[in-house]
Amino acid sequence: MRGDGMITAGIDVGSTTTKAVLLGKDGIYSYSVQATGIDIPEATEQVLGESLAQANLSFEDIAGIVSTGYGRISIPFSSQTITEITCNAAGVHHLFPNATLVVDIGGQDSKAIKMDKKGRVRQFAMNDKCAAGTGKFLEVAAQTLRVDVEELGKTSLESKNKITISNTCTVFAQSEIVSLIARKTEKEDIAAALHESIGSRIYGLINSVYPEPKAEIVLTGGVARNIAIVKLLERMTGRMVMVPENPQIVTALGAAILARKVN
Amino acid sequence: MEKILDKFKEFCMQPYDRAVEWKDAEPNRKVIGCIPMYFPEEILHAAGVLPVTLYGSDEPITMGEHHLMNNACHQVRSTFDSLLKGKYDFLDGVAALHVCDQVRFFLEVWQLDHPFPFFHEMWRPYRLDNTNRPFLTSELKRLISHLESFTGTEITIEAIRNSIGIYNESRYMMRKLNDIRRERPGIISASDMVCTVTSSMLIPREEHNQLLRELLSRIDNVLTPEDQRFKMVIIGHLCDAPDEGLLNLIENEGLSLIDDDFITGGRYYAVDVNPDGDPIESFADYYMNMIPCTTYHYVDCWRGDSDKYSPYADYTIDMLKKGQAAGIVILRAMYCDPFDMEFVLLRERLKEENIPFLALFIEKGSGSMEAVRTRVQAFVETL
Ligand code: SF4
Repeated sequence: MRGDGMITAGIDVGSTTTKAVLLGKDGIYSYSVQATGIDIPEATEQVLGESLAQANLSFEDIAGIVSTGYGRISIPFSSQTITEITCNAAGVHHLFPNATLVVDIGGQDSKAIKMDKKGRVRQFAMNDKCAAGTGKFLEVAAQTLRVDVEELGKTSLESKNKITISNTCTVFAQSEIVSLIARKTEKEDIAAALHESIGSRIYGLINSVYPEPKAEIVLTGGVARNIAIVKLLERMTGRMVMVPENPQIVTALGAAILARKVN
Repeated sequence: MEKILDKFKEFCMQPYDRAVEWKDAEPNRKVIGCIPMYFPEEILHAAGVLPVTLYGSDEPITMGEHHLMNNACHQVRSTFDSLLKGKYDFLDGVAALHVCDQVRFFLEVWQLDHPFPFFHEMWRPYRLDNTNRPFLTSELKRLISHLESFTGTEITIEAIRNSIGIYNESRYMMRKLNDIRRERPGIISASDMVCTVTSSMLIPREEHNQLLRELLSRIDNVLTPEDQRFKMVIIGHLCDAPDEGLLNLIENEGLSLIDDDFITGGRYYAVDVNPDGDPIESFADYYMNMIPCTTYHYVDCWRGDSDKYSPYADYTIDMLKKGQAAGIVILRAMYCDPFDMEFVLLRERLKEENIPFLALFIEKGSGSMEAVRTRVQAFVETL
């Protein structure tokens, strides 16, 4: 057995991707990200297997596993399940010990978390009921615009004319995009309007947790890589937005950190 | 005890079966549907009528939507849906107290489109003090004379007093049951508590009292394992009966609900009507002494430096302290504006006093239970 019993794993089964993080005494050993698909146990086995292979470790080396994310209960080998809210806060606290405000934009949900300086969750808000204000919204929009979703943010920064998309409903927004395309609106302008729309949803979410006036935002989740969202949130909220190096794995990292305590 | 609780549950699942049976048992019996909340059922009872409270249903709303704005609350839309689906065909009449504008407007549509032989809307001033008490008493008198002309019989003072006694006994026993739940968490689940109270509004009260008496006589023998969950009070959800599945989910995720202010709970049995004296004045007192409610207007709210004054928040916090609960779960019924307005003040107070709370936006029949589960679990993790 390696790692002095200190190696823990965090597995975050999100609606779009599944992530695993292996954590040792001195930090992250390895991590892996994959599409969740329909077979959750298989996806989790794969991400964990891949992380173990990268770190040159075996399953027996792991002292504890915490699973999180919407598919958290379907993982047979985890020692405990903890919600993505608590895990995300723990992950952010580890990376940014002074942070008190987190925004996580995932595939099908987005959340704002207010925490204390010890990383404990004080208040949280999640998007209610639908995919507006989430990664799914951007994904559907990118498909309709025939732009790669990774490029959508950059595309939006090229916008020259301000237009608005009034629908925050993902499905209705899609038909609004189609009619804008039919009216020959530039795709850059449409992309910018889409970002405005998602940004205002997130802004609302942030306000509903009553953040400290000057608290900076730590932005996590897959969408945090989108530079346009970062700029937009900075402009809308007047706060600084910080993005971790691997924003997608922060929740899985938090799960691995909490697995130390469970153990 | 289980058997009696199962019975209550059955009544809630088939809400009008017993009323139909009662009506058919003898000629000329009449059943009147009451729209929640606060209709003086005792007066209907004294007139020999069976009052049943009309909670909508959990069914998808397929007809009600076309007649009302879709930002009406679920209770209103679902009740209208049930009406259009013929579920209220057995009723001889409908009676309601204006608790909010939504109820008022939907009753107008109801009366125009689907008139019933007896239709009574009662006004209760939103702001109650001695200046408008005469109006309230005149409304109570109007109800009595309307009922008398509908049934063709006089409603005597003795009859009203007798009915008040029966309903007071019912409320007393429910309060007692709730006291036991507060003292022995886990002895009765929140959903069973809601069914106990809701079923009282669906069947003849004497029958319900009999069952409740039996239940209380047996409860002392029920063993409850030590409850490891966090004690919580749960509030809100104004006029609707909260979803059983939702309450069970909350309790299964580590929270023990020990008190509530539901209209199918604490709010319903909190205040008695004085059985002596002039019944009209006693009912006026009942409305004036009601526990703080978001459908009442309190003069001092939103005014100057007392803009944080919220009797509702005070009441809720007292409930929490009384039960030594760790926090509050708030069910916010979607599109219920009276509650939403008050929620702002309540939230401020809870934050000021550092009381943990979880506010859940609820719309029956929509939204994912899994999303609710995540919120509840995350809340438990913060405690
Ligand atoms: S008080 Fe709220 S729940 Fe009751 S009828 Fe009015 S809007 Fe609906």
